[in-house]
Amino acid sequence: MEPLLKVENLRIELTTRTGVAPVIDNLSFELGAGESISFVGESGCGKSMTALGIMGLLPEKVGRIASGSITFNGEELTTASPKRLRDIRGNDISMIFQEPMTSLNPVYTVGEQIAEVIRAHQGLSRKAAWNQAIELLDAVRIPNAKGRVSDYPFQMSGGQRQRVMIAIALACEPKILIADEPTTALDVTVQAQIFDLLNDMKRQTGASIIMITHDMGAVAEMAERMIVMYAGRKAEEGPVEQTIEHPRHPYTRGLISCVPHIMSTISEERHALTEVPGIVPSLSDFGQNRCLFASRCNMVTQKCLEERPPEKPFANGQKAACWYAEEV
Amino acid sequence: MSNETLVSVENLGVRFAVKRGGGWGKASYLYAVDDVSFEIKRGETLAIVGESGSGKTTTALAVARLVEAYQGKVDLDGTDFLSLDPEELRLARAKMQFIFQDPYSSLNPRLRAEQIVREPLDSLGTMDEAEKKEIVDRLFAEVGLRPEQQRLFPHQFSGGQRQRIGIARALATQPDLIICDEAVSALDVAVQAQILNLLRKLQADLNLTYLFISHDLGVVQHMCDSIAVMYMGRVVEHGSRMDLFNNPLHPYTSALLSAVPSVDKARREATKRILIPGDPPDPVNLPAGCRFANRCPVATDICRQQDPALRDVKGGHKVACHLVGEDAVSPL
Repeated sequence: MEPLLKVENLRIELTTRTGVAPVIDNLSFELGAGESISFVGESGCGKSMTALGIMGLLPEKVGRIASGSITFNGEELTTASPKRLRDIRGNDISMIFQEPMTSLNPVYTVGEQIAEVIRAHQGLSRKAAWNQAIELLDAVRIPNAKGRVSDYPFQMSGGQRQRVMIAIALACEPKILIADEPTTALDVTVQAQIFDLLNDMKRQTGASIIMITHDMGAVAEMAERMIVMYAGRKAEEGPVEQTIEHPRHPYTRGLISCVPHIMSTISEERHALTEVPGIVPSLSDFGQNRCLFASRCNMVTQKCLEERPPEKPFANGQKAACWYAEEV
Repeated sequence: MSNETLVSVENLGVRFAVKRGGGWGKASYLYAVDDVSFEIKRGETLAIVGESGSGKTTTALAVARLVEAYQGKVDLDGTDFLSLDPEELRLARAKMQFIFQDPYSSLNPRLRAEQIVREPLDSLGTMDEAEKKEIVDRLFAEVGLRPEQQRLFPHQFSGGQRQRIGIARALATQPDLIICDEAVSALDVAVQAQILNLLRKLQADLNLTYLFISHDLGVVQHMCDSIAVMYMGRVVEHGSRMDLFNNPLHPYTSALLSAVPSVDKARREATKRILIPGDPPDPVNLPAGCRFANRCPVATDICRQQDPALRDVKGGHKVACHLVGEDAVSPL
């Protein structure tokens, strides 16, 4: 069966003061209908750029899709007209952003902002759209939706604002929901409520979810498959549980073991955290024909510095771009 | 590790006057920190956890007298911190230093790294230049920065390196207590691990005492010896790391722990998520009873009528909940 979304050899270039850099470098992945995948990695690894590329929202004049293809439901998006992309955005593919305060318009009520999406995409009347906005607020579990629909964003808590964002994103029952760090700005109990809500919504509407995060715990909780990004490239991809259990790329292993997790049993003894030394390379170093993780890797050899490692597939569906993936 | 108490905080209270509706009405207060008490032993780490608005940062600021408390006592190694006059306080602050959350805004962009680290020593005014230089050199080595980096300005460092400068500055005056307010929250996970390891190594080497403020329970679990959980300005549970994580007693603590997503399959399967619906009550018009009652899954009539006090239920494990009996069993 044809996947819902197929990204092939995608290359996104950003023009910076120092030249053109491939912020996404030869990325391929697929997303099935009803599937949920997670993109993980540190800041500056290209997670958000992937999402913006799919949405056709790359920063104008700075970012562009240089090569590769993105097909949604069999339709090529990289060559689609701006009008067609506008149709797809919000209708078929929608996105929720990290900061629920800055992504809502402060001078419109939340009801107006939800209704606007419904009217733009479904051509409903003002009144019908307003009523649907109330239903949506209710669906994202805002208590007293009828009363709160006329509230302005500043009258709501962070968690409620993120629910409004989710309501807007789900207004047209999209086939794909892209959530870019949807809970990073929120408290952990609110995060739990939002995850719960997203999972319920996914079950009800059958939408696919792409979640971008830096939190392995969130990945384990929310996704079936994960893609680890490093310096604009896919470092590893695989089923979440097996990949966390046995990562095949040293970067994935580092990402998991450098975080102090709460395990099922807490012991008195504590060990130093495994460090991944150094930091993500700067954009000007992206795109070189070598392993970009080599400078931080404890398994590095001469080969890693001379040639970009190809993706090695494993029988369980894991794939890792490391010369020594079998040994990790 | 000694058993000596370094910091003792008693009945600390911070309130902010809030104006409601204007006019000549009676002043109403928001009690950001309400009757908070805890102790920290020398060489140990106490973590204060809680969600935004719970009062954890205000508690830390009040301990360092960066906001003024209206009641209570802060004793640091025999010095009554809250009764010092400004000049005494300036000198006493050498014993209590801060590491801030944002390594971008907490360093003066116009000073070189070396000047930033030296500034606390300049302010003490008790050393000559040669002594100060020696200390700065040693601090740079201790926090893992190279000597030639002393001449650089903050913008020339990465976030993790800036946090190292902030740590070196905090260590300069050889403090007894270091308050880390979300010290690693702004950092990427790999860099966060480097800083956490550094903080633990420094603690072991220099016998430092930390007051560690964080919303990240994974980090807290790794760093602390004991934990105070705050909710709406109150400490609702206070105990050792093992007690708190293995046997949480307050329903809020349980909900908080259950909300943390985990990579550990065994934990995910063993943990039943306790969702707490709704929002915390209005902090200016607090309810008569327990502040958590309106969201608590097991609240009873007494919870809505009487404010529970923090009491010791089992060998130093304290909880403010009516429903926890002498047997120290969670009411959930």
